[in-house]
Amino acid sequence: MSTLFPADLLHRWRQQILARYGQWLKRRLPAAASVVLQNRRLFIFPSRSGGLFLVVLALLLLLAINYQSNLVYGLAFWLFTVFIVAVHFTHANLMGLRVSAGSVESVYAGQLARCTLTLDCSSRHRAHTALKFSWPESSCWVSVPAQGRVSITLERRVIARGWYQPPRVKVESWYPLGLLRCWSFIELDWSGLGWPKPEQPSVTTHLASAGHGARWHQQGGDDLTGFRDYREGDPLHRVSWRSFARQQPLQVRQFSTPQSDDMWLSWDQFETGTQEQRLSWLCWLAIRRDASGQAYGLRLPNVVIQPGTGDRHRMRVLRELALFGEVETPS
Amino acid sequence: MTAFSVLSTPVLIGLVSSLLLALLPLYSELPGWVVFAAVLAILELVRLQRRTQVRPGRALRVALTLAAVTMVWFQYRSFIGLEPMVALLVLGVSLKLLECAGERDVYQVVFLGLFLVATGFLFSQSLPISLVGVLALAILLTTLVSLNRRSNQWLWQDFRLAVLMLLLAAPLMLVMFVFFPRIAPLWSVPNMSGQAITGMSDTLAPGSVAKLGRSAEVVFRARFDGDIPPAAQRYWRGVVLSDFDGEQWQSVPWRQLPEEERRLQAPSYSGELLNYRVVQEPTRQRWLFALPYAQSDTAGVFETVDYRLAVAEPLESQFAYDVRSQAVADSAEPLSTWRHKLETHLPATANPRTRQWVSTVQNQYATPETLAEAILKYFREQAFYYTLQPQPLNDSDFVDAFLFDSRRGFCEHYAYAFAVVMRMAGIPARVVAGYQGGEVNPLNNSVVVRQFDAHAWTEIWIAGRGWLRIDPTAAVAPERIELGLEAALPNAESFLVDSPLSVYRFRHLALVNWLRLRYDVMAYQWQSFIVGFDNDRQINLLERWLGKVSTDRYATVFLLSWALVLVPLGLILARSRQISRLSFAERSFKNLCRKLRARGLNRMPGETPRALLVRAENDPRIPVSLRQALTEAELQLYASRTDANPH
Repeated sequence: MSTLFPADLLHRWRQQILARYGQWLKRRLPAAASVVLQNRRLFIFPSRSGGLFLVVLALLLLLAINYQSNLVYGLAFWLFTVFIVAVHFTHANLMGLRVSAGSVESVYAGQLARCTLTLDCSSRHRAHTALKFSWPESSCWVSVPAQGRVSITLERRVIARGWYQPPRVKVESWYPLGLLRCWSFIELDWSGLGWPKPEQPSVTTHLASAGHGARWHQQGGDDLTGFRDYREGDPLHRVSWRSFARQQPLQVRQFSTPQSDDMWLSWDQFETGTQEQRLSWLCWLAIRRDASGQAYGLRLPNVVIQPGTGDRHRMRVLRELALFGEVETPS
Repeated sequence: MTAFSVLSTPVLIGLVSSLLLALLPLYSELPGWVVFAAVLAILELVRLQRRTQVRPGRALRVALTLAAVTMVWFQYRSFIGLEPMVALLVLGVSLKLLECAGERDVYQVVFLGLFLVATGFLFSQSLPISLVGVLALAILLTTLVSLNRRSNQWLWQDFRLAVLMLLLAAPLMLVMFVFFPRIAPLWSVPNMSGQAITGMSDTLAPGSVAKLGRSAEVVFRARFDGDIPPAAQRYWRGVVLSDFDGEQWQSVPWRQLPEEERRLQAPSYSGELLNYRVVQEPTRQRWLFALPYAQSDTAGVFETVDYRLAVAEPLESQFAYDVRSQAVADSAEPLSTWRHKLETHLPATANPRTRQWVSTVQNQYATPETLAEAILKYFREQAFYYTLQPQPLNDSDFVDAFLFDSRRGFCEHYAYAFAVVMRMAGIPARVVAGYQGGEVNPLNNSVVVRQFDAHAWTEIWIAGRGWLRIDPTAAVAPERIELGLEAALPNAESFLVDSPLSVYRFRHLALVNWLRLRYDVMAYQWQSFIVGFDNDRQINLLERWLGKVSTDRYATVFLLSWALVLVPLGLILARSRQISRLSFAERSFKNLCRKLRARGLNRMPGETPRALLVRAENDPRIPVSLRQALTEAELQLYASRTDANPH
């Protein structure tokens, strides 16, 4: 057996078949911002219980033949035709459902991103009952009432930084009898951003030449230098709630901000490290700085972001880190 | 969606009620402890669901299984046989209930429930049992719907959906039922282990027929094509008792007949032809009931040498057969020596007083006809009484005691005594047991025969005329023959003591009687069609519909019949596919417009939502909440255009 079918050949075949299947599915179910489940998108086959049910029918037929019992004949035939009717009912339960892409959460690589889907039932009379939406990581049961709209959230692990497209969502339905499974794959035209996975740089990788970022590891212990008025975008943990409670205007605590090159997070500040490692380290540093409220800038080989603070700034920095070296997909 | 447990309330309600219903037809067939165990298991299921308790462990379940199998063995001493297998099935379902926790368990219990329904049908195919079975089936499907709806709330809709699916499936089921070829059993299956059934037996002793007078159970129904003969002519022959051993009359089994006596010599019948179809309840006997002289074309029915109809195997379930009867059998041939000996055999010593009396009477009346007439006249003129409760008599000289002392008896006493008297005179005579009369149901031109119509009479052989029916009971109580048992009995007698609640008792109420007859028509139709549907009927029906049964016509009809399912199904599902082409926002806007119209504000043709909103805000009839909703809808209506892009 193993000589005839070497394991790697089998594996290659498997890969080829899976790839073909993926291509076929892609042709059959092209991506769109919203998808209505119609005939050509739906697949249906007896479920495991349905298989058992058919075995039960065969046994009932044997019972009828051997005991010459017309009522048992009738029971077996009735159950069989109910099975056929159930094919149509199960199919109709998914038919006409509109699935629209919602938002996709941006997360660090390795984390679970929450992706929202909106489900619309356009039928006037029939609800979509007990549908299962699933990815390998998460699944969700939902019913959509007639003429109703429901939003669901699925979670998907982001493997690497950059734009990622959530994969096909599998939607399944067993309702009403559970004897048949009707399913479809929904390929939506949606994407989310995966930031680099933050990793603490080890000291040895740190380039200590000529004052470049020498103090990055001490900045946790900065001294309070004063207060200034709150501006939109300031992190909430730096708001001085105590003075606000004394009915003074909203103020923000200011910490000593190094006025040197320390404020720059730079591609060149590390001696070693691959591209991805460096991005991960920079990401970690950026989050640290942001958490402590210090201004920081980013210097990448092709991009320079001037120092700044706040959520918007952080987003910009993370976005550049995420998309470093990638052609940005239009969104 | 809220947390969903597999054994949710609707699933539990479905399982409990459907299993109890499916057990209903089996109650009388199974030993009490099996039913008790099943009910206990069902209650345990409810208890387990109430509090989330631990299911019985593996060791306990194995022990219970072993105990169940052992007890079934001790009950039946065998596992082969329908009853032990059904007992095992019921116990299996019960044990399965104890470990029922997951989704797959529920499916398995439902499928076992389907088997329970089917085995119920093996025991009885009567109309009420069938209805119970169908209801159980509907609830089992409801259980599946509830399970797959994945909600803890009980809804009528589940049941309605199950019934709808059954109704949609019914036409194709009927087509399959009619068209599916009926195959002979693939292997021989164990039958019922032979519990006694109330009914006519093939031995007759004084008192054996009288006990049937206590029951109103239906024995068979016969539907006539033409006129129904009058009650006095309706002698339903069942079994012929030729073998008399001095104490009781018995039928002669076919195996004990000599080779040359087994075949009926092609008789010629004459007289008015009666066509009717009989649906007989299970008797666990081989003989069928029919008016003399009967012929049948139904498969599996054959005619015996003493002009009866019989089948090869005892009737375990209802059986339907078509009969042609003609009143006269032309048999000029003399009796064979063997049969003459059989039909005149009499133990030599018993009943000396009768023997003496017979020889004196025989001197006066030489021919068999006149002799028989003289005996009947004796019955008529002496103080004989017709009663269900005769006093018990000494067995060995029963005829002496009956004819000269007690003179009280039921039909079998008279038939018994008359046949013995005839044999003493050397005339071939035998007792025939069956039913006499029956109630006419005018609604479908049928006769319903019940246990209390049980009757016994005699036949004597007269050279040149053949067998002649003589009913001594008619001489004593002619009203029994013409009006039935109740009319013939003195008031206080024990008519129907075994059927205290029988509807038959209340037939003097017009409405009850009409309902009773109507039900009987339905029961006949049900059993005649469902139970009597066999290969012959199938071919008859197909030939009537298709002209000629050929493979391609058969296939065409079978395929076309799918339209029976697809058309109504399509209509129902098309309703659900009425897709409103409007988006969610457009729909809610349209809803609001309807509400505005109800308050007197009509949207002009072509008016933009914004313009409508402005008008609504200046309109005092429109409440604030509606204005806010309209603002919201207007926003949504136009926001949704950009909303489609996630970034």
